[in-house]
Amino acid sequence: MIASESRNIQNGEQHPKTANLWRLTTGKRMLYTGAFAAMVMASLLMFAAPLIGGYAIDVLDQGDLGQGLPVLNQLAGQLSPDASSTLYLALSAVLIIVLTALGGVFLYLRGRLSALASEGIIKDLRESLYQHLHYLQSGFYDEADTGDLVQRCSSDVETVRVFLSADIVEIGRAIILFITLLPVLFYMSVSLAWLSICLMPFLLIFAVLFFTRVKSLFLITDEAEGEMTAVLQENLTGIRVVRAFARQEFEISKFARNNKAFRDHNNRLIRLLGIYWATSDLFSMSQLGLVLIAGGYWIMEGQISVGTLFTFLTCVSIVIWPIRHLGRVLTDAGKAVVSLKRINEVLGKEEESREPPPAINTVHGEINFEGVQFAYKSGLPVIQDFSLHIAAGETLAIVGPPGSGKTTLIRLLLRLYEQQSGNISLDGTNINDISRQWLRSQIAVVLQDPFLYTRSIADNLLVGRPDAHEAQLVNAAEEAAVHRAISSLPKGYQSMVGERGLTLSGGQRQRVALARALLKDPAVLILDDSLSAVDTGTEQQILTGLKARQGKSTTIMIAHRLSSVMHADRILVLDKGRCVQLGDHDSLSREPGIYQRLCEIQMALDKQIDQDVHQRDAGGKG
Amino acid sequence: MSDYDDDNFDDGFNEEELARKFQIGLWKKLFTYTLPYKKQVGLLAFFAVLTATADVIYPLITKGVIDTVAEHGADARLVPYVYYYLGCTLLLSLSVGGFIWMGGIIRTHVSHDIRRDGFENLQRLSFSYYDHRPVGWLMARMTSDCERLSNILAWGVLDLVWGITLMAGIAVVMMIMNLKLALLILAIIPLLAWVSVSFKKRILISAREVRRTNSRITGAYNEAIMGVQTSKTYVREAENLSDFQKLTSGMNAASVTNLTQSAIYVPIVLTLASLATGLALAVGGFDMLGGAMTAGMLIAFLAYTRHFFEPIEELGHWFAEMQMAQASAERIISLIETEPEIADSEHVLQCLWRAEQPEPDTQATSRLRAKNRALDGGLDSISRIELQDVGFSYGDDNPVLQNINLSVNSGETIAIVGPTGGGKSTLVNVICRFYEPVAGRVLIDGVDYRDRSLHWLQSNLGMVLQNAHVFSGSIMENIRYGNLSATDADVITAAKTAGAHDLIVTLPDAYQTEVGEGGSKLSAGQKQLVSFARAILADPAILIMDEATSSIDTETERRIQFGLQKLLQGRISFVIAHRLSTIRNATRILVVVDGRIVEQGTHAQLLELGKHYYQLYTQQSISQSAREISTLRPGLA
Repeated sequence: MIASESRNIQNGEQHPKTANLWRLTTGKRMLYTGAFAAMVMASLLMFAAPLIGGYAIDVLDQGDLGQGLPVLNQLAGQLSPDASSTLYLALSAVLIIVLTALGGVFLYLRGRLSALASEGIIKDLRESLYQHLHYLQSGFYDEADTGDLVQRCSSDVETVRVFLSADIVEIGRAIILFITLLPVLFYMSVSLAWLSICLMPFLLIFAVLFFTRVKSLFLITDEAEGEMTAVLQENLTGIRVVRAFARQEFEISKFARNNKAFRDHNNRLIRLLGIYWATSDLFSMSQLGLVLIAGGYWIMEGQISVGTLFTFLTCVSIVIWPIRHLGRVLTDAGKAVVSLKRINEVLGKEEESREPPPAINTVHGEINFEGVQFAYKSGLPVIQDFSLHIAAGETLAIVGPPGSGKTTLIRLLLRLYEQQSGNISLDGTNINDISRQWLRSQIAVVLQDPFLYTRSIADNLLVGRPDAHEAQLVNAAEEAAVHRAISSLPKGYQSMVGERGLTLSGGQRQRVALARALLKDPAVLILDDSLSAVDTGTEQQILTGLKARQGKSTTIMIAHRLSSVMHADRILVLDKGRCVQLGDHDSLSREPGIYQRLCEIQMALDKQIDQDVHQRDAGGKG
Repeated sequence: MSDYDDDNFDDGFNEEELARKFQIGLWKKLFTYTLPYKKQVGLLAFFAVLTATADVIYPLITKGVIDTVAEHGADARLVPYVYYYLGCTLLLSLSVGGFIWMGGIIRTHVSHDIRRDGFENLQRLSFSYYDHRPVGWLMARMTSDCERLSNILAWGVLDLVWGITLMAGIAVVMMIMNLKLALLILAIIPLLAWVSVSFKKRILISAREVRRTNSRITGAYNEAIMGVQTSKTYVREAENLSDFQKLTSGMNAASVTNLTQSAIYVPIVLTLASLATGLALAVGGFDMLGGAMTAGMLIAFLAYTRHFFEPIEELGHWFAEMQMAQASAERIISLIETEPEIADSEHVLQCLWRAEQPEPDTQATSRLRAKNRALDGGLDSISRIELQDVGFSYGDDNPVLQNINLSVNSGETIAIVGPTGGGKSTLVNVICRFYEPVAGRVLIDGVDYRDRSLHWLQSNLGMVLQNAHVFSGSIMENIRYGNLSATDADVITAAKTAGAHDLIVTLPDAYQTEVGEGGSKLSAGQKQLVSFARAILADPAILIMDEATSSIDTETERRIQFGLQKLLQGRISFVIAHRLSTIRNATRILVVVDGRIVEQGTHAQLLELGKHYYQLYTQQSISQSAREISTLRPGLA
């Protein structure tokens, strides 16, 4: 454990720290502090209206200016001794408006500052997730479900955002209102103050209990929604298959099940929320009712004035609203906790180690596998005791049945996965000792199912070499036999690649990916069954081009067609993760085995073609 | 490098447009979705009115308590007010629970129903509809738009009824208590309404910008995940991040703007409301001095001024939201109402309707059965397809297919060859009636296929597509997709015929292996074998193979060949493939170039011809390609 950790540190391995809420606010805490200060000011000023109103009512009720606020009292008396009561009222009204407006300014500050804080935090969170996705170990993606992962990055982040931008502020508001208000109320009447808050703890406890109980229901509902979305997405992407088998009815009933499940879970959730709001209304109104009735009796007994009762009623209704809301806020907080946990599950997954690049200038492309052993799942070895030396500049072809481990070998070489035992080296250096990024930048690979970015074709090609100029771009495209196809598009090289390259045919996509790899002009070029969708004529054209490069860079070519592999310097036959045959075309075609069978099939075809052609020629002459 | 905000990113679809005019008709259509829930809508309105009533009554109770105390002093009896208060509170909490319950039903059921209709129509719509709309776009309509509209239909309606009742109730009570003061306070409403609507609109516009950016961010995440191998192998981590940072910065700016607008709006509303409070206090207090008002009345007035503006805010929000959501409504209604370009004709629909009658004329059904008729009254089996002068284009002037003439009998295998983009796939799609010809006609056993049922034709199809698509679920389920009533044994037999069985049993859970989303856990070749087995299980009258063997190694392909030959017997098969060895045995070969059949005939005939096909064919020969390469590199030979 300690050893592996120290190795990680040595390797400069970086883990983003798990994002707990507190750590997320780093660097934004000053903004939040400012927001809370503004909120204190705002809530103090917002209590001006009920307080001033309460005094005014007492002045009116008892016809005695002495009951009013001393400041206003004196002011009114000085300005107009005759109509001082009327003036007192006018002054109260103006003061209410002015103080509320002033409070508004602080409210604005609160909103603005907390917006800056929360949005800044979310920006950081989004970026660290995005970066993390790029550095995650490839093994993570074998098990990962794209839809779910995207949901974690989008809607879960959104839930956290809502929590940070609205909920934190809301909770703060409730607390601050409570804290600022209590002294005022207790100052006016201790017994009524106690009575005013006596039900609030129960309201809060009820809210918290309720939302902890329904938390699982929120989760179930979210999952139901996710499943429904997944079915929808699959249907839309596979619509051709649906139609080809006329399975509309089947799909409709499948979707109906998911659609209904989501509806019913969601409905159940809303119904429970209805119970919550009804109960919390019962609590809050009872709280107000207590104040009203007890206040009424105390007025009768002369303990308090009408104005005091007014102030209390207004204040309690101001405070009780955020406390009732606390239920919803706590829901969101609960959701935010779940979301944060889901985000953390992603962020907590180990990244690939990142080592500094080695001080090597030129790479020759000599590759050595030595006793390599690998399994995706323990007990199911994919590569077994594999050793092979590939000379710099050599062209190696790999053939073998599906699942024989061809692609896995490539992944190991790229350090997308790490072998469980054995060594792989490039130019004599163990690849585990050099930076992955550096290693990969020496290798250009065209994947089986190539991925093109949602950008223009030119931009996709430039991925291979960002500083390439147009002539180089065209050159590479020509070499990949795709220049003509690109030029015939309405916008040529500036055409956008649609959703997952939908606007390009499979063969065109492969060829664009090939051009991208060729543009990189790497020490090692790898083609992983990347001409499969290209027609034979074009394939020959490309192979001819590649042939001209032979010797310049080490080339590894996985292919199924004999025509693609037979001219390689050596051909490797892989079966069940083992090298079963190795040699050039001439020697392998004489050795009994998979390759020979491949040759026989092709030879039979060849013979057939020759025969056909001869027959035709003979027939033509005859 | 171009940014994500290239217009093309949305494929020409502007995400959300601010609707110019309020379209009543559109909302009427949407409101029809609430019709099945009339009872709930009625109850929702009822509970909303009750809630508003309770809201109006509370200040009156307060007034009663204070005035009674003022009037009777120590003799005042407050007990009745306790009962009023309790009653009112029970009423309020029951009606609150009630409207949330009802609103929840409407909200979830309406969105369910809209989504159901949308999905069902998506299953009917022709491929041409999909050609112009990216999957992501359709997804957004079916998810967020649905939720948004059903929110308006449930909670918007609730707030409308509640708000109007509450405002009307308060206005009436205030006017009864003190007309002059009531009118003064009501005078502030227009100002507040104007502020509310204009601000809410602004807020919604910036919220839209936030959403738009957000969907781009989601797209970027999606791309990051789908393209992770490519990004890793091209060491794009840093560049991608810096591109992404442009997006998040935009998002940050938009969100801060949005929140700041709200931060300005709320204080303005509060200040306006305090204007009313000040007015009530000054004017009402003056009246109280004159004895025209009691302390209780003044307190009730002050309470009403606070309650009065809540509904305006809510209504302002929904009003603005409805304006903004109009674009959503438009899109979703059009999705539901778009008629598929390819659908059963009136005549076919009538036949189908007759066939589906619950109490059919038993004689007629038995006659249908005896004559081996399909539900639409035509022949059930397919023994001959004929294309007469078929032409096709994708809605523009560029013809994709021209003057296609072809007739195929059962048992025949037609190979289609030719360069990429020549129209091979389109030809097959026209034969399957995924597209209908714009010129000429397609006859099935002498009947124009537009006079037959679409479902009948397409359930007679089996297809193996270029990019084999499998659904998440087990391999067993995926193969069974070809014939839903097949037993496990049938599935295994089909897999054996496809040459997939040996491979499947080596997988961890054999036939129960989960293939993952979009088959992500299978290799391309494995996916193709599965889709092969699926087509074989379907046992179709018409079999289509589109480059089906491209990712299968020669060894596996050979395994398939034998089974395939058996499969082709007694069917009409169309095979698009680049490997001519597969096609050699075809009954006939079509060479399609630039949307025309330029050569047609048997292998021998076309070789004899010595043109396109001859060239294509001889390209297959290794010795031929070896010759080509060796001429380039003399040393090698």
